[in-house]
Amino acid sequence: MSKNIVILGCGAAGLSAALSARKTDRNINIIVIDQEEYPAYSRCGLPFVIGGEIRDFNSLLTFSPSMYKMMRIDLRLRSKVIDIDSNSKTVVYIDHQNRKETLQYDSLILATGASPIIPSISGVNKRGVYVLRTINDCKAIVEALPSSRNAVIIGAGLIGLETADALYRRGLNVTVIEILPSIIRASLDEDMAEIVKSSIERKGVKILVNRHVDEITGSNRVDGIISNGEKFKADIVVLATGMKANTELANRIGIQTGITGAIKVNSRMETTIKDIYAAGDCVESNHMITGQSTLSQLGTTAVRQGRIAGINAAGGYAIFPGVLNSMVSRIFDLEVGTTGLNMIQAEKYGFKVLTGSVSWRTRAEYYPETKSIRVKLLFERGSLRIIGGQIIGGEFVAPHINSLALAIQAKMTVFDIVNLDTCYSPPLANTWSPIVLAAESALSKIRIT
Amino acid sequence: MVRINNYEVINGLYYSETHVWVRIENDIAVIGITDYGQKNLKEIVNVMLPDLGVFIAQGDILGSLETAKAVIDIVAPLSGTVKEVNENVIGKPSLINEDPYGRGWLIKIAPLNLHMELPKLMDFSKAIEWYKTLT
Ligand SMILES: Cc1cc2nc3c(=O)[nH]c(=O)nc-3n(C[C@H](O)[C@H](O)[C@H](O)COP(=O)(O)OP(=O)(O)OC[C@H]3O[C@@H](n4cnc5c(N)ncnc54)[C@H](O)[C@@H]3O)c2cc1C
Repeated sequence: MSKNIVILGCGAAGLSAALSARKTDRNINIIVIDQEEYPAYSRCGLPFVIGGEIRDFNSLLTFSPSMYKMMRIDLRLRSKVIDIDSNSKTVVYIDHQNRKETLQYDSLILATGASPIIPSISGVNKRGVYVLRTINDCKAIVEALPSSRNAVIIGAGLIGLETADALYRRGLNVTVIEILPSIIRASLDEDMAEIVKSSIERKGVKILVNRHVDEITGSNRVDGIISNGEKFKADIVVLATGMKANTELANRIGIQTGITGAIKVNSRMETTIKDIYAAGDCVESNHMITGQSTLSQLGTTAVRQGRIAGINAAGGYAIFPGVLNSMVSRIFDLEVGTTGLNMIQAEKYGFKVLTGSVSWRTRAEYYPETKSIRVKLLFERGSLRIIGGQIIGGEFVAPHINSLALAIQAKMTVFDIVNLDTCYSPPLANTWSPIVLAAESALSKIRIT
Repeated sequence: MVRINNYEVINGLYYSETHVWVRIENDIAVIGITDYGQKNLKEIVNVMLPDLGVFIAQGDILGSLETAKAVIDIVAPLSGTVKEVNENVIGKPSLINEDPYGRGWLIKIAPLNLHMELPKLMDFSKAIEWYKTLT
């Protein structure tokens, strides 16, 4: 009889695991269980549905449900897994008709994702207070749009700001409240964050940092919030205060979690219990530069880890090399991308940092569509290898971030980067790449001192 | 031909729920992947098809398709002996994407038990109803 791989969660990681398991072993049975009513879809696309750029939720589905049959993936939606027994190797779930079902597994993959953190603010349960993780969360926000004028977003991370952008596009007055001293602090240094913040504020969107929310007000439905004693009107409040790994099932059966609170895995994505693998937002990852655990919680990390878990669970052999947490996001008119460590992280892990920055143009200065771009690079003093990069610009940020990720993974130094042979044509790029110029600016600091 | 949610369904063909179509030409059955199947799979980069003379049974795996992300086994819609294999599609799998009902056909078989097996497939009007239920 062929083996059973059971995958908990049909998100980015779960689907990627299923597809890779199928590529590894053509005869294996693959069963994917998810509590949602939709199979894997792009959560990353949700803000753009709110903003009206994407009209149809169905276009976010990676594969329509009927394709799973063609791919011989046994998909069980609206089914919630409630227990695992790692001795008898079984999974217990409640199916869409409320029946309790038990499944035998040879390999199990936990791809249970993460859930929004609900801050303990009085009034968070009022109607009109939303989170953004699922299609249904998104639908609820879209439905509230016609009757809403003012929105408050709590949290100025990427999801908070992408949501602010979306609600602004829909014509709402938007205020963003952030408890930390700067926005997107998990990725951007303060000097870079300030550029993004002032560009958003020029649109008329308020961003208030160093602020806590005292209370969400309104009788039954939200009518506003109070922050540091000041009242703000709101018909919609979106909580965007981070994601917490879904580890309940793992905890229940004694799978170890790490310092980040997420599931601990080795480089083959194995948990601490035999034949149970885990991948995606529910695990912690090894950072390629620090060698320490980090919470990545990115779609790109989820598909890469899912692939490794799927190959190994199906009897193959594959290794996950770790993460740099490369990311990019469009925030109002700016593209913002980062990879590797920022200053706060570099200092936390004991790196002495040399930085170089430049503000430049994306194409030839005289070319009509040229836009501005700012690059900041972080090098380790001594070795002079590149350990991080942050880019903000009107365009082309994603490909530049990808080259920086390549440079970091290839362990390149500031000398390698100043000598990069980059391409140029007036309508497409500038003669000097801003990455080369930022590296030169770093180098000039050590040449004079 | 009708278009349902941007997917073409062709009159005169029979369809399986695994997105395979069949066209009966005298005593031969031509088999291929539907427009819905190819569009959802996206670019097909590799095709494996059976050898000539091989017998395949309805529901067996007759070959496979590979895309950047997935491998998909093609489930045989009918039983029969392989009479012809589309060599062009092996050399250029993207033909399935370009012309799924035409130059992208996969194999031709001499069906064994047509009158028993054909009713298990959807005809044009049933296929239309089924496609309407898919997202
Ligand atoms: C609004 C938003 C925007 C984003 N934008 C980006 C972006 O631009 N770029 C980027 O790289 N990343 C982005 N991300 C992050 C990215 O979406 C996640 O990293 C990715 O979805 C993680 O995939 P996953 O498979 O690990 O988890 P999920 O996609 O959350 O999938 C986990 C699944 O498991 C199911 N599940 C959990 N427990 C059970 C159980 N007990 N029984 C049954 N089913 C269960 C859940 O219902 C869920 O469907 C964004 C996220 C959000 C919310």
